Amino acid sequence: MKNKTADRIFRQKRARRAQLAGLPFEKKIEIIVELQKMAKGIGKNARRAVWPI
Amino acid sequence: MEKTLRVINEITRQGIISAYAIGGGIAATYYIEPMLTYDLDIFFIPAMEGLDILAPIHAYAEKAGYKTQGEMILIEGIPVQFIPVYNDLIREAVENAAGLKYRDVEAKVVTAEYLIAIALQTGRAKDRERIIRLLDEAVIDRTVLARILEVFGLAEKFKKFKSRFYEK
Repeated sequence: MKNKTADRIFRQKRARRAQLAGLPFEKKIEIIVELQKMAKGIGKNARRAVWPI
Repeated sequence: MEKTLRVINEITRQGIISAYAIGGGIAATYYIEPMLTYDLDIFFIPAMEGLDILAPIHAYAEKAGYKTQGEMILIEGIPVQFIPVYNDLIREAVENAAGLKYRDVEAKVVTAEYLIAIALQTGRAKDRERIIRLLDEAVIDRTVLARILEVFGLAEKFKKFKSRFYEK
């Protein structure tokens, strides 16, 4: 069954992922570090440290 | 990160390892949307054969004052996992690694085609997801990928994977 709304949402999500995939590597590493910071707030695990970039 | 890459380049320059390439999540991130990861995986070709091929790297790290975290070495604050090439596919992936530049440091990274083949060979749930994301988001040379899959006996597995996840 086709759903136009869902199709549009998935298309936009794919476009967003493609946009993020095209970012410079340096920017991607910055995003990873931001993700690490966010995850640090959720749980404590000494092995999951935030990278000092 | 650039300090970490400089150290890895220095380990190579000193002949402690013959060659390396970034693999795992960071390599995938080079080609696709960034994903949460905590480790820097380094596939490497050992300079010498021996019982403990990690020993020279650990000796260098210890001398330089870097601590270990289990199997990983904390280099300039980043946990680095050195993984010796454990089969012909990984070895070829390292030998054919692409160059990348992070700020002013040059490094080597496994290409997207080899990442797909390695993930297919490894076959964990996160590897399957990685294949899908690489196929969807990265620029893949289909001819190169087909050759790698054929050479390493993964063509049929890839066909089944595509049939499962891409054909309705």
